[in-house]
Amino acid sequence: MYIINKSQVLDIARELQKEHQVYGPVMEKETRQVMFVAVDDIAELDLSAPIPAVPPKHAVFPHFERIMSYTYDRRNKKVEIKPDYDEKPKALFGLRSCDLTGIQCLDRFYLGQEFVDEVYRNHRKKMFIVTNTCNAPFRQCFCVCTDSGPSAHEGYDLNLTDLGDQYLVEAGSEQGKKMAERLSLSKADDSHRKRKEAIVDKSVSMFDSIAKDNKAWISRVVNRVTTGLIEEKVWEYIGDQCIECGACAFVCPSCSCFNIVDPVTGIDSADRMRTWDSCSYEGYSRMAGGHNPRKPVEDRRNKRFFCKLSYSQSKKYLRPGCVGCGRCAWVCPGDIGLPNVVTYIRREIQE
Amino acid sequence: MSEINNTTIPEIATIEEIKDEIVEVKTFYFSFDGRTDGKPFTFKSGQFVMCTVFGAGEFAVSLPPSPEKDRFHLTVRKVGKVTSALHELKTGDKVGIRGPFGNGFPFDDIKGKNVIYVAGGIGLIPLRSSIMHVMQNKDKFGRILLFLGARTPQELMYQYNLNEWKAAPGFETHITVDNPVPGWDGETGFVHTLLKKADIPVKDTVAFVCGPPVMFNAVIKELTDLGFGEDCIISTLERHMKCGIGKCQHCSIGRTLVCTDGPVYTYRQIKTLGEQI
Repeated sequence: MYIINKSQVLDIARELQKEHQVYGPVMEKETRQVMFVAVDDIAELDLSAPIPAVPPKHAVFPHFERIMSYTYDRRNKKVEIKPDYDEKPKALFGLRSCDLTGIQCLDRFYLGQEFVDEVYRNHRKKMFIVTNTCNAPFRQCFCVCTDSGPSAHEGYDLNLTDLGDQYLVEAGSEQGKKMAERLSLSKADDSHRKRKEAIVDKSVSMFDSIAKDNKAWISRVVNRVTTGLIEEKVWEYIGDQCIECGACAFVCPSCSCFNIVDPVTGIDSADRMRTWDSCSYEGYSRMAGGHNPRKPVEDRRNKRFFCKLSYSQSKKYLRPGCVGCGRCAWVCPGDIGLPNVVTYIRREIQE
Repeated sequence: MSEINNTTIPEIATIEEIKDEIVEVKTFYFSFDGRTDGKPFTFKSGQFVMCTVFGAGEFAVSLPPSPEKDRFHLTVRKVGKVTSALHELKTGDKVGIRGPFGNGFPFDDIKGKNVIYVAGGIGLIPLRSSIMHVMQNKDKFGRILLFLGARTPQELMYQYNLNEWKAAPGFETHITVDNPVPGWDGETGFVHTLLKKADIPVKDTVAFVCGPPVMFNAVIKELTDLGFGEDCIISTLERHMKCGIGKCQHCSIGRTLVCTDGPVYTYRQIKTLGEQI
């Protein structure tokens, strides 16, 4: 554990910038919207900014990215394929613990199953992660229910906690330790650790009572979703409110579905692109020829919550797929963000 | 952990021969231009590959076993954008291949048993690979029966194989068409109606079923009525697929992914998935 003065905390980012492309929270001046974006000017970073509107998953899993390009010379029957992996070293600075948990879910899903996803592995290969403890919950947060905050426990290189005039810096990896030593940070003592604990306790106590009440309920809902004991009318009620915009999937730190398309770039050349996709879209499971096994919208809504809450999917993430950031509840034009879905299912259980 | 090294980037192959099967269905014979790992291409019957048509995209297709060592083939119906582009290709053109992916047929589990194949239309394509395997190892299996349905006599897949199988000793073929044409002297009606009429062994028997969902449901009902256990009915499922390696999740069905947990499922598994097939 180390200590750094508040005025110097961005020096960590400046040091990281020497070898990495730094990503961090930036507040747009006019709209006061916070985005987690790649920055060149470290002074733009704002560690006290609220949780970013979109999670930083785009740093490891971009909205759209080229995974290869190819040329096909029809006359001479020649094809050349050029893989295009993004191996740039990246540093995520000021990540919230829910978003770090989202990246851990993606790690386990993309790297830990039968196949390793090469595209993702290359994004992740040279990454440095600096997390930031949440001193207070933001609107609709419920990470205390999903065991993913307000402070990160593992998976970071450095973790920052705002102690008022100073930041407590915890190293979570060899790489993080080296960075702290390179910056010659002064050592923290037990009093700093206690101050952090008090801050985290206070932060937990500030969560809505609803969020905390939901904690036990989430595990009961997980049970219901896994065993399929939820009545069809509940899914229909949820499906009725879905306008199939896909926003919930795009702001979810752990949603990982993608589509692959080959847009043509010239007479005899094309790219292979990966783009974000959402299971709420009608075309998601539609096959060539038109057969769609998941035509009714409630079948598709059901799928998303199955992914976030079922035990079988949790086995792939080694935790529930929901990280409690609450973004789906902000963006949903209906009223079916994950906390509300838990409430609807809970209501059914109580009836 | 998988040993396949072409999970993301396809390997280039050349189309060596194209054969017209039935209307809008062609078989493409191809060989690899050179494997990236230098090893021979091996796969199990029932697995599938992702086939790239350069400039159009990629699609999933079942890969039947090949009698030749270095030459493989895919039988493809023209349905969507990419398969239509594939049908435009000529001998000598290139395609990209990733794979093989999926679990394959459970041949070890069914040794010594009677085998029934029920296929509707081009559902015979994935089943043919299993039929050929069983035919080659006939002494290891009991009775072998094929029930095949098609819309018209012209749409019966693999006519040349059918004639060969009809003549093969110990292989019982039952063929029906929905819309007979003048001169058709075989059965008419849907394929599940044949099951009732035929003398079908139930004990120690495994049924392979493949075809469109409507046909599948009718056949399953018929087979369970006959007394088939849910573990004795095996099918290979079709889904919209993008990656083939269990990441894009387009092929998710219930708690499983067709690309890594399937495409071969028992009816017991299909029933617990809780989704339409």
